[in-house]
Amino acid sequence: MKDNVKGGALTEVTFFILLSLYEPKHGYAIMQFIEEKTGGRLVLGAGSLYGAISTLTEKGWIKPYGDSSGRTKEYVITAAGKEIAKKELERLKELTDIAAGIIGGAV
Amino acid sequence: MSIKKIRYFAGFMKSQENWLNAMAHKGYRLVKTGKLTYEFEECAPDAYCYTVEYVGDKSFESENDYKAFLEGMGYRVFYKNINLDWSLAKITIRPWAEKGGFFSTNRTTFNRELLIVEKENDGKPFELHTEKEDLADYYRRLSYPWYFMTFIMLLLLILLFPAPVPTAVLGVLSGLCFLPVIIAWVKIAKLKKDNKLEE
Repeated sequence: MKDNVKGGALTEVTFFILLSLYEPKHGYAIMQFIEEKTGGRLVLGAGSLYGAISTLTEKGWIKPYGDSSGRTKEYVITAAGKEIAKKELERLKELTDIAAGIIGGAV
Repeated sequence: MSIKKIRYFAGFMKSQENWLNAMAHKGYRLVKTGKLTYEFEECAPDAYCYTVEYVGDKSFESENDYKAFLEGMGYRVFYKNINLDWSLAKITIRPWAEKGGFFSTNRTTFNRELLIVEKENDGKPFELHTEKEDLADYYRRLSYPWYFMTFIMLLLLILLFPAPVPTAVLGVLSGLCFLPVIIAWVKIAKLKKDNKLEE
């Protein structure tokens, strides 16, 4: 995953995983969260989800939750992760404000 | 009633996947894998679908972690060997593997190079890698052993150089070993092109 930290832009998958983990969840629940919130538009394969979780854990944006392990291993967002998610929200808000100013009207 | 089939697909994962899906279509669900055998039991036709994933570059620990993760997603997962058991010492090296996977033994990752993953058929395609970058990474991982094989063939070729027959044979073999690498390059290049077009 190429998340451009300097420019602030996260991939959609990264942003959704961060959002899903404001409450601790295991892999299956993260996948369900993403499918549900996007109405099935974004469907993430289990292998890609596993890779994304590993990358985000390495970055320190999410971390394992409690002493769960194996198939019920849960994850939760870290303070650093929340900071990143907040910045992304501000970036997107700025973008939609500019777009609304030009295109006009609310979406 | 269970049935036993003898098949060997070596590294042809897509063929193995297609065959398992064809068996599921006929109403057979995989229950056990052996080195050359597959055991099935009867089920409703098309009740399950299968995908085959290469994990031969993982360490024992991360392979098990990945397997547990997939099981947590509600899938059934089987180990499968990619090679036949030719190693007498039951230990082999994998220079292409991640940290901790360099030595592969009977007790760890040896003969557990593939995962056969089963899900209940929900009509949607069964893809483990849906993100383009993740998919490119997977193709890359698939090609690493073939770099090594090509290297070994070329090394033998140089060592045996003056003899004409082995030189010709080894030349052909190195070419064949490099073919999967080229295929991976083409697939990755195509993904990159698609990615750019989407921007």
